[in-house]
Order: sequence, then structure tokens, then C-alpha cells
Amino acid sequence: MSAIAVNQFAQCITCHAWSPDHSMVAFCPNNNEVHIYRLSQDKWEKVHVLEKHDQIVSGIDWSPRSNRIVTASHDRNSYVWNLEGSEWVPTLVILRLNRAALCVQWSPKENKFAVGSGAKTVCICYYEQENNWWVSKLIRKRHDSSVTSVAWHPNNILLATTSADGKCRIFSTFIKGVDTKDSRTGPSSDSKFGEQIVQLDLSFSWAFGVKWSPSGNTLAYVGHNSMIYFVDEIGPSPLAQNVAFRDLPLRDVLFVSERMVIGVGYDCNPMVFAADERGIWSFIRFLGERKTISSGSKYGSQFSEAFGKLYGQSKHGLSNDAVEPSRSRGGIHDNCINCILPFRLSEISTVMRFSTSGLDGKVVIWDLENQADLSEYL
Amino acid sequence: MANTLRLYLTCIRNTLEAAMCLQNFPCQEVERHNKPEVELKTSPELLLNPVLICRNEAEKCLIETSINSLRISLKVKQADELENILTKKFLRFLSMRAEAFQVLRRKPVQGYDISFLITNYHCEEMQKHKLIDFIVQFMEDIDKEISELKMSVNTRGRLVATEFLKQFL
Repeated sequence: MSAIAVNQFAQCITCHAWSPDHSMVAFCPNNNEVHIYRLSQDKWEKVHVLEKHDQIVSGIDWSPRSNRIVTASHDRNSYVWNLEGSEWVPTLVILRLNRAALCVQWSPKENKFAVGSGAKTVCICYYEQENNWWVSKLIRKRHDSSVTSVAWHPNNILLATTSADGKCRIFSTFIKGVDTKDSRTGPSSDSKFGEQIVQLDLSFSWAFGVKWSPSGNTLAYVGHNSMIYFVDEIGPSPLAQNVAFRDLPLRDVLFVSERMVIGVGYDCNPMVFAADERGIWSFIRFLGERKTISSGSKYGSQFSEAFGKLYGQSKHGLSNDAVEPSRSRGGIHDNCINCILPFRLSEISTVMRFSTSGLDGKVVIWDLENQADLSEYL
Repeated sequence: MANTLRLYLTCIRNTLEAAMCLQNFPCQEVERHNKPEVELKTSPELLLNPVLICRNEAEKCLIETSINSLRISLKVKQADELENILTKKFLRFLSMRAEAFQVLRRKPVQGYDISFLITNYHCEEMQKHKLIDFIVQFMEDIDKEISELKMSVNTRGRLVATEFLKQFL
């Protein structure tokens, strides 16, 4: 089994993030709080609760070097949390949003972060020393729908976004005074803030979960029509590959190496995609084992049994049916997985472990070692 | 069970399986709101194409999907006047108790007898396959229930008539 740790932290988790040394995990239990748990003597203990938001927290990111947490919430706000002594102290971020914030990510240099929003804009936030707050610059009028996901290129300038209008866009986020000239490389060398480098119109449905490969040469994102898209040579003439699969759509992806991607989504089981020597991407297999439970026979006609089924189906209710007509999944996660993160033990380029969290409230750590058929792609 | 009903229900089950991929999604139009998009229909890009599954003219099922909600509307077979009135009364009885069902809509969509509204919140607290089972089981049972009701009305009618006519013997 490739899952090495399964922890049921809450009833439902919207997103999670790891501390720099991976001894602590921060997650939102589907409400306005962020809980931080620490592993001590093989047991997870709740050490902090961050309460400042007043609606559900939609995004958390923990910066690996500066040890800061940024949270984004449907209440239109975002906070940067600093650990002072033993307390997490929030700093206000002036997002200037009038709709929910949906996703957040630190830039690789950790001097900026991006917030995608339901206001069809992206906020690039940076710290202003004089006022002691984070201010934002907005990329407006580019997206036709909510921004569902953001991803930073390793060069700290390019930002990829996916939106519910099905498009993936790449912007330059060069901010004077924050970024220096020499950090501009590649196709972004002469672009101003908010300039759109390329717009990828591959999906017919909503797009989610954009990620760059470790080198920044390849971009992957998913569409709700059960497709995953890989884009090479970002620039005026990008090369795109569409891979369709037969299972339910994905929500998020993770580059394990330049040639291997893990996708997670409504199928509750991580899917492995890999590129062969010629660079052709394809679906390899599911990562988790799946016990198939075949459908049994149906029971009698009394309406009351259907009533009973309804009461019995809630997680807390009594399960009153002995016969289960449809297949239950039998995997490790039993609801949609919506967040996947690398679980990096050191600053090496290949990720051997990663963690997933989902609507079933579990955080699962997966290990790719001892997976003989996958080792060639690592 | 008739073979066609089995096919019809399997088709609905598979469609629901694929359509029930919902997520939390805040309203794009109104600040700090979170509403089922399939009911509001304010942003066309957040809606998927509706699927209509028909067994025959009288029995059909409309599945409308959006990014955070799903609406299932059923039309139940009504062969004659009696079935018509039984279905109407029975489904009205259920709709009035919609809270107890959680996923039941208080009012059916126009042209249908009963509607369900499933949002991302239902998917978060209930298991997806059980939700689908419930809908399919409901459809299976409603026909049986109506024909049972019809039978009992007929039996009772016959009994009453017999009792009534006995006095003239």
C-alpha cells in the first residue's frame, strides 16, 4: 500500500498546508477557522486555532523559508500570520476585493503571494514596510469567471491561473521595487505588471488545479470534462497535449517530477500520469488499491425503507441497510479529494511523498517508493 | 421488475454518478452569498447542459447540473384519472415535508411532479453513492406505491359497494 499515514482530523477539510519541517499541519475544517496540529510522540495534537475570518477558509499556504501562513476566505479577506513567541499574529492584507477569495499561493521567493477570487480578478500582494500591511495590485478584466486556482513559475514573475470559464492564462507579475531586473528571464523579459503572456483555451468546461513542473518548462491543469492538459514551451506558440480519461474529473494536480504528475479529484483515488521518452503523456494507473464491492440485490417495495435509507445515509445516522446496491468505493479517501501537496523531506527536486486532503476530513500521506512500475518516471 | 425500468434506472444512476461532482462555490454576483447556481442561473458559464432521460412520454427525468448544485426533476407515470389524483396528493404530501428529506425541493420544477435539489453541502455530509441510491430507490418505490394505493382504493371501493348493495338483498 502506498499510503503511509491516514489521519482523520475533521469531518470535512477544504484545504491543508504543511509547516516547513513537516511536523505541523494547518487545515480548515470546513468552517471559518484554521486548525494547526503538531505531531508529538506519534500523536497529532491541536496546538493552535487561527480565528479571524468569518466565512469558510478556501485557501491556506505556509511559506517554507519565512514560516508565514497566508489564508484566504470567502469573506473577501486574506491574512498573513506570523509566529511571534508562541502565538500566531495576523496581519491584514488590503485585497480590495468585493467577492470571495478562492485560492492563495506564496511566490517561490516568498516576497509576494497571489489570491484568485470570485470577482474575476487576481490580486498580487506584497509587503509595504511603511504601513505594516500587505497591499495588492489587481489583474482585472482578463478573466470571464471566477479564478479557481493560481500557480507561480519558479522564476517568481510568471503566474498561471485557471478560471471557471475554462481558460488557463499566464501573466507577468513584475512589480517595481519588489522584483529586480535580473530575475526576469525567458519569455517574460520585457513585460509589465498584469500583461497576459498567453491564454490557453483548451477546455470546454471549468478549469482547475494549475501547476508548473519543477523546472517551469511544463504546465498542467485539469478541466471538468475529465481531461488533463499539459502545455510545453509557454510563449507565443505553446505546445499542448490533451489527455482524456474515463473516470470522474480531477480537482488538483501535483508534479512529482518533470515526467510524472499525480491528479486527485472526484474519483477519491490519486491518478498517475506520466510522459514517455518522446514526451507523450498518458494515464498510467490509480495509486490506491480499490476493493470492488459488486452490487447486491435490491430489497422490497416498502416506501418506509426508502425513508429509512435517507435517515440512515447521513454519516452520523444509523446505517440500516444490510444490502448495498451500488459499489462503495473502498479506497482510502471516501469523498472528493480537493487538495494535494508535496511532502518534501529536504530540498531535493524529486518528491517521493505527498499528502492529500478531501471532503471526508482525512489527510493522507502517500509514498511513491517501492512502486516499481513508477520509479522510471521519477 | 420490468426490464425497461431497470435500464431506465441504470441510466439515471450512471448520469447522477457523473453529474454529482459538486464543490463549494461562492456567488459571483452577490457579495458574501453562496447559493445554488442551478436555481439562480445568473452565470451561464457555471451551468452544464441539462440531461433529459425519458422512458416514455409519461415518464421522464431531467437532470440539471451546475458547479455547486444539481437538480433532479421527475415525472411519474399517470395512466388514468385515479393515478393522476393519487400521484398529485401523494407527492404533495411529501413535498410539504421537504425538510425531513433534506434533498427534496418544496416545489417541483414546472412540468414535473417532484424535484430534488442536491448541493455541495449535501455531498460533504452524506456519502455520494447513498444519495444516488436514495434517488433511484425513490423512483423505484414511487411507482409501486402508486399502484398499491390504486389497488387498495379499488379494493376498498369494491368492498364498500358490496356492503352497500347487501341491504338490497
